[in-house]
Amino acid sequence: MSDAPADRADADTAPGDDDAGFLEGYTTRALVGGVTVAAVVALLLAGLLFPDSLAGTLADALTSRNTLAAALRLSVPIAFAALGGIFAEKSGVINIGLEGLLIISAFSAIYVADVTGGVWIGFAGGVAASTLLAALFAVVTIGFRADQIIAGLAVWLIALGLAPFASQVIYGSPNTPTVATSPSINVPVLADLPFFGALFSASPSVYLLFAAVFGSWYVFERTAFGRWIRASGENPKALDTAGVSVTRVRYAAVLISGVLAGMGGAALSLDLGQFTGNGPTMVNGKGFIAIVAYLFGNYNPVGAFLSTMLFAGLDAVQTVLQLQGIGIPRQLIRITPFVVVIIVLALVGRTRLPEAAGEHYETEE
Amino acid sequence: MSTADRARDALARLVDASATERVLISTAALVLSVLIGAVLVLVAGRMTTCTVGEAVYYFGTGFCYDPVVVFDRLFLGALGDPFSGGWSPNGQFAVTLRESTLLLFTGLSVALAFRAGIFNIGTQGQMVVGALATALGVLWASSLVSGALGTVVLIPFGLFVGAVFGGLYGAVPGLLKAYADANEVITTIMLNFIATGIALYLVSGVFKDPESAANQTVPLPEFAQFPALLFGAQQDFSIVALGFGLLAVVALYYVLEHTAFGYDVRTSGVQPEAAEYGGVDAKRTVVASLTLSGALGGIAGAMYVMMVLGTFQTGIPAYGFDGITVSILAGNNPLGVGVAALLFGVLKSGTTVVQFATDVPPQLVGVLRGLIILFVAMPEFFRLLARGLPGTGSKPEAVATDGGAAGDRGGEADE
Repeated sequence: MSDAPADRADADTAPGDDDAGFLEGYTTRALVGGVTVAAVVALLLAGLLFPDSLAGTLADALTSRNTLAAALRLSVPIAFAALGGIFAEKSGVINIGLEGLLIISAFSAIYVADVTGGVWIGFAGGVAASTLLAALFAVVTIGFRADQIIAGLAVWLIALGLAPFASQVIYGSPNTPTVATSPSINVPVLADLPFFGALFSASPSVYLLFAAVFGSWYVFERTAFGRWIRASGENPKALDTAGVSVTRVRYAAVLISGVLAGMGGAALSLDLGQFTGNGPTMVNGKGFIAIVAYLFGNYNPVGAFLSTMLFAGLDAVQTVLQLQGIGIPRQLIRITPFVVVIIVLALVGRTRLPEAAGEHYETEE
Repeated sequence: MSTADRARDALARLVDASATERVLISTAALVLSVLIGAVLVLVAGRMTTCTVGEAVYYFGTGFCYDPVVVFDRLFLGALGDPFSGGWSPNGQFAVTLRESTLLLFTGLSVALAFRAGIFNIGTQGQMVVGALATALGVLWASSLVSGALGTVVLIPFGLFVGAVFGGLYGAVPGLLKAYADANEVITTIMLNFIATGIALYLVSGVFKDPESAANQTVPLPEFAQFPALLFGAQQDFSIVALGFGLLAVVALYYVLEHTAFGYDVRTSGVQPEAAEYGGVDAKRTVVASLTLSGALGGIAGAMYVMMVLGTFQTGIPAYGFDGITVSILAGNNPLGVGVAALLFGVLKSGTTVVQFATDVPPQLVGVLRGLIILFVAMPEFFRLLARGLPGTGSKPEAVATDGGAAGDRGGEADE
């Protein structure tokens, strides 16, 4: 993770934004990144010098291959949802219902996999369910001009009720039985590398995520469709004048956000082989963390992935620490990701939303 | 356009819809949600298994769940079956009033923030913090007084403690929004998770009742809890608490409509630029309204502890999220919150009746909650429906009045 700030700086300059708010955001981002790296380097040095101290244990945890593997696994649902959020929000539709999309796809994936016996069919089922719910959200916000935040909230609450409801009806419990999981893919030789080997010995969903991050980046930077999405969020009138339907671009972007979030939710439950629907369900705020991840990543797919890795890495380190019995209570360690999200949000502060995000666009005829 | 502007834009649209239209839309949203809920019950009834004898038949097809029974139980059951005799003041109706009382406070909490142009999704967390503080504060104070005097002193004290701590917890996203420009939707959701986590840590550790297996604080003595007057003794309902709730409705209505602070709140909600131009301190209004909103959430927590449980236990029901529905259903009007809270109290209380009478999972009400919010958020949908209906003379007028506000860009000219 030590090369994060350089990449993030690249990611930041890529979109070529050029207003004062951006510069402000850029410096805080650089600051947060710099401080993180400095802290990690200091910790590693201290760990090297005093291997028996707390710093030593932390350094071990950070450089452990298992930590990287866990961070990758934990970042899959968040990063997929964040990519989806970027598509929707860049097009001018704020999709705060990502959490709901993750929940509905996590359940549907297990249900379909259980019925058909195929993991990948289950995956497709999860994506389909999430896309359907996203389509409903699109119709409500784009077609019927509903307030995007309230409608997104409704999507979350509907899924939060519907998934455990369906699980209860079908399985008699908010938690589903377990289904088979797909084995991880090992790249020969590379998988044996220390630490970075975790990158080459992971669940298929991790490779899928890499592909999705690259694909999203490519769409935004290199294709006409990517430019339309950006224009639809920044200057819908110009897009309209150029003869491209803003409504269609927005529908497409929201549906893509449904597909991507669906992949994240399906991967989340299928990697574990079970859906748990008690309380906030197994998704447990990942959709909201995803929103912060893409805000922090400045709407850039690579940036969003890196900030997801930051959150997930933190989560992974806390899991390792728990296993090693460091004297911090489990309940408090568990809330660290949420605290970090608030701190990051407070530091990054004003994120520059696409100009027309949240507004309904009326075609002038 | 910043987040705040958008929020206000949306609010302006909601506020501009005429009162009659809002009542119509809320009612239509409710009816439509119930209808979809009925379909959902039917579909779910096809997906589960039951014996032939248990099944009901509609359109020549057998279903395991009967939506008619479900909604009969949900609504009439919640009112204690007033038409079938044997109605008792200690029955299910008392439970409905108990739920309504709590929803009054969470609904008012969300409504107040909404009026200031702020989406407070953190009422749940503020309620948890207020509840825990009340349970601990009153427990400590109950060793100092006792008897009837104890009740008179401790209940206001408990409400005060809940309000203070809920208010402080509400001030956090307020300060973050005002001074760090952090989006309150995200921060309040995160703070909900944090409140639950910290409460779990404290209640399973230092403050745990050593005599109980559950994660809870030491129970409050009887005199430190709301007295059950007239009815509701077995259902943990106190008419005194409901009285406090109705008082809060009237008080908040008065504050919003007839005081300088209320004016600041309303104008910042509807017209932020004009409010600033007119000398309203926007940052202070944001912090103040979120603090007051948090205090109302904290009082809901205090009520839950001193009226329902008599202790703080982890896993507080989602009154805070239901408060969002109540507030949106009420068009963020305090008086409307009174009606919507009663309505949603029926839904909440009816859930347990449904659970007893049928096999339908109680999460159904969670789905209804989401559907209601979704439909209330899309007045355009109902306007289209109304336009499609023949012979509704008054409707087109309502549409036109709102056209300008909804379009925001010369909608009037388009119509």
